[in-house]
Amino acid sequence: MKEFLLVILVAPFVGFLINGLFRNVLSKKIIAFNACGQILISFLFSLVVFSTILESGGAIFEYYNFIKVGSFQIPFALQIDQLSSIFLLIITGVGFLIHVYSASYMKEESSAHFGRYFSYLNLFIFFMLLLVLGANFVIMFIGWEGVGLCSYLLIGYWFKNTEYNYAARKAFVMNRIGDLGFLIAIFWLIAKLDTTSFSIIFSNESLAKLSTLDITAITLLLFVGATGKSAQIPLYTWLPDAMAGPTPVSALIHAATMVTAGVYLVARCNVLYSLAPITQTIIVCIGLATAILAATIALKQNDIKKILAYSTVSQLGFMFFALGLGAYTAAVFHVITHAFFKALLFLGSGSVIHAMGGEQDIRKMGGLSKKLKITYWTFFIGCLAIAGIPPFSGFFSKDAILVSAFAKSPALYFMVLLGALLTAFYMFRLLFITFSGSFRGTKEQQQHLHESPAVMTLPLIILAILSLVAGVIGIPDVLLNGGDKLSEFLSPIIFVNNEHQLSHSTEYLLMGLSTILIIGVIVVAWVLFKKYKTTETVGIGKFFENKWYVDELYNKTIVNSINKLAKICNDIIEKSGIDAVVNGVGRLVHYGSRQLRLLQSGQVGNYILVMVLCMVLVFSFQFIFKK
Amino acid sequence: MNALIVTAVLGVMMMFSSIVLKRNSAIRMLAIVGLLFTFIANVLDSSGVHFFSINIKGMMHFDQFAYFFISISIFCTFIFFLLSAKEMERIGVNYSEYFALIFFILCGIILVASFTSLLILFLGIEIISIPLYILTGSDKKNLKSNEASLKYFLLGAFSTGIMLMGIALFYGSTGSFSVENSVVIAATTSPMLLIGILLLLFSMSFKVSAAPFHFWAPDVYDGAPTVFTSFMATIVKAAAFIAFIRLFSLAFTPLQDRWQLIVAVIIALTLFVGNITAVFQQSVKRMLAYSSIAQSGFMLMALLAFNTFSVEGILLYIVAYSISTMGIFSVLVKMKDSSLEEFNGFAKHQPVLAVALTVFLLSLAGIPLTAGFLSKFYMLKAVMHSGNFLWLIIFAVLMAAVSVYYYFRIIQVMFFKESDSNTIIVSTSFKWLLSALAIIIIVLGVYPQLLLQFLV
Repeated sequence: MKEFLLVILVAPFVGFLINGLFRNVLSKKIIAFNACGQILISFLFSLVVFSTILESGGAIFEYYNFIKVGSFQIPFALQIDQLSSIFLLIITGVGFLIHVYSASYMKEESSAHFGRYFSYLNLFIFFMLLLVLGANFVIMFIGWEGVGLCSYLLIGYWFKNTEYNYAARKAFVMNRIGDLGFLIAIFWLIAKLDTTSFSIIFSNESLAKLSTLDITAITLLLFVGATGKSAQIPLYTWLPDAMAGPTPVSALIHAATMVTAGVYLVARCNVLYSLAPITQTIIVCIGLATAILAATIALKQNDIKKILAYSTVSQLGFMFFALGLGAYTAAVFHVITHAFFKALLFLGSGSVIHAMGGEQDIRKMGGLSKKLKITYWTFFIGCLAIAGIPPFSGFFSKDAILVSAFAKSPALYFMVLLGALLTAFYMFRLLFITFSGSFRGTKEQQQHLHESPAVMTLPLIILAILSLVAGVIGIPDVLLNGGDKLSEFLSPIIFVNNEHQLSHSTEYLLMGLSTILIIGVIVVAWVLFKKYKTTETVGIGKFFENKWYVDELYNKTIVNSINKLAKICNDIIEKSGIDAVVNGVGRLVHYGSRQLRLLQSGQVGNYILVMVLCMVLVFSFQFIFKK
Repeated sequence: MNALIVTAVLGVMMMFSSIVLKRNSAIRMLAIVGLLFTFIANVLDSSGVHFFSINIKGMMHFDQFAYFFISISIFCTFIFFLLSAKEMERIGVNYSEYFALIFFILCGIILVASFTSLLILFLGIEIISIPLYILTGSDKKNLKSNEASLKYFLLGAFSTGIMLMGIALFYGSTGSFSVENSVVIAATTSPMLLIGILLLLFSMSFKVSAAPFHFWAPDVYDGAPTVFTSFMATIVKAAAFIAFIRLFSLAFTPLQDRWQLIVAVIIALTLFVGNITAVFQQSVKRMLAYSSIAQSGFMLMALLAFNTFSVEGILLYIVAYSISTMGIFSVLVKMKDSSLEEFNGFAKHQPVLAVALTVFLLSLAGIPLTAGFLSKFYMLKAVMHSGNFLWLIIFAVLMAAVSVYYYFRIIQVMFFKESDSNTIIVSTSFKWLLSALAIIIIVLGVYPQLLLQFLV
């Protein structure tokens, strides 16, 4: 088991090294084979590890002493348990499919860039695995940072485009702001408990040592980290911009894996969060606000990837909402199903973009269902799943969240239901505008329309099947007794709160209500958008289309004031302060050098005179002043 | 003892070799082989195989440190021969005699590394100095060379006088030439002894070119043929240091409080004058002369603290400093003149050499991962451990920062300036050798025990 974990971790890294170092030498076939093969190895070993976990439960393995300072030490340790094994499967499994898809999607790139792309992709998987496998906060943080780095590299993959570079930079900076919170939380823990290991921190003795203030502060700080990675208010604006990267990257990083890191973090620390009601309330508020805000923005976007990006932000909002309610299992469940259908939707959009020759604006599409049959049907399944229509997987995970909301308060339930309805609306708006009606693009594009090759459609089909059936791992007890396998599986790790049990009839009612409403919304969308015509948006629509002007707000307030401060620092402190001192020292030395040089007159007599004078000075010092 | 006699004999042999050997390359080969033999003889000596059994009446004592230092000196001379022996041909016709003089100097170095009597010290110093006067003036047709030689001789004679006076006073107050603590303890209160010690301090400061007795160094180093400057500024200087430290650590520790402050002031002055003056120099050769003065300041710190750090530090310092300086000089010798402009765009024509030179310069500046950094660190640590002179450490670090300026100037022009002149021609083996030296500098900077393990 110890070695298996190492193989899972190291295989993608080896792939990264090979592709990264030899990208100029290897052919594209070998690069793609190497990259996909390494992930496949990881995936197969993950399956083995998962089956072992099913039987015997989790374990922690220490490999060596990573940092040792006095009595404080941080081992390089990996932790495998129910939670991390699920993430392992998602990362390597979905990751593998996306790698395969990429091999075809990126084939137009030159060989060296192709190698660069896959080496980044492999490196990303490596860091993500490190993130979920780390047995303490520091190892996790390495993965956390690495994931941020890879995301930067991949968003800016087409580095010749300045806009894309700005997007990459924005993602990096936003992530860094969150990382600061994470770091402070780690230091706080070290200061209080002298350790970073999960197993020790979450034990009762350690928790007893922490005051309520400590726990609230630490959980809040960790949550700040999570808002950065998982794109929550106020740090979510990087995610839509991150669509600058190649579409498979969006699928892998900005839908299926990296953005779930924050959810993983909170779920991992559920023991702490359960002790911090204030933090939980804040998380509920932020999660809900993010879910609805992003959904309203998605209503009015016209870029196919932007819509999906905002939908990701919105879905992540749902997950955090669940985390805040203490429904950790529901959140993890939604992570799983979301990974499948969001990867599916992104890859599907990739297929559409591919067919359209790079066009991303849905206003210029339409009627694609005739030409892109597989893409259309799989995309349709993805939409049904994300909208939450039974029996698709999204229904079960969203239902779990809705039920736990209702258990808390009906008001919360209706708000989150609103979010779910918006989701259904914008997703089907996207579907209908893109695939129904008549084609609105150019003649050339119409000629060019074609279904993607099998290497790309096969992952779509697999993901579509998974989106359809993944719900079975968490069928609620009302429908099937003992159907909620996921909660049972995660029970050793996640503290389950059984206080608010709803009656069966209430649960049926809720399910029925949400399903009927969602279907209603879909019908409305069908009526509105089956024959779409480009129109000017006005009023509140304009407000949504411009993303609530959040970017502008950030620019006006934070970015501008920082820039102003920087200018002051540059003009006053730097130029007339530090520079003046530094240059002054330099000038002084130069001046001294010029003067001192004159001492070297070249006259032997002078030399001897100086020497003798110095000797006399020493003697007089020794014999007159000392005694 | 082996090496002492072997070098003396080899010196005489080299003198007459030109009668037998007609070709310069043969003479050079003889010198190199002879040097190798000397090295082996010395190593054998240190492990107990003595070729000669001579009663030296307790005037010399070869301890492990002495053997080790002699090995280092021979090794450095060996590198010097490999790097620059060919360049000596350009100086004059008396090719074999230059080698003879160098062997005599080595002979003197062995004496000063192992003396226990002031007489031997004096003898050694003179055996080193007199051939140096000749080597400095060996470029007979060059007026600068002649001037340097004369200046060196005059000032050298002056310092010899001071040294003799010091020895005389020492003898007068203690009744012995023996360099031992007990001799000094018996006469601590005598002012004559103190004056003697101070005079010895001055004359030794002169030999290691410490301020304010450094005046000869820039003129002589600048005027002497570059090949010999390289030898003088490294191996010979190191020997003077060893003599200095040996003398003061063996005999004068009982009067430590009387002279240590003076040494500290001398160090501070040396660092100041060396570093600050080097900043303005336009000639690389002259800049290196001042840099060598500045480096003396650091090496002198061994006198402030006699502990393991200083012993290991001074040896590491000598190796790091000698190799780096010789490496830079060996390239400088091949250039038309020694102005900074000669290095313009050097990296484009000779990338390998430029990188090696960069390593040497970084080492001299004391940048981490080079031996130069560690040796400076050891010296500062030694002083720190002795507990006094915190002000000196801070000052030394500041001065090291100044030194970065003039070392980096060469790096800067090598890499960032366009060249207009045609470049130097070097053999492939020279490139290999210089690269190997650069690697040694880096290896010692990471793993100094590689060298220091021999000291145990």
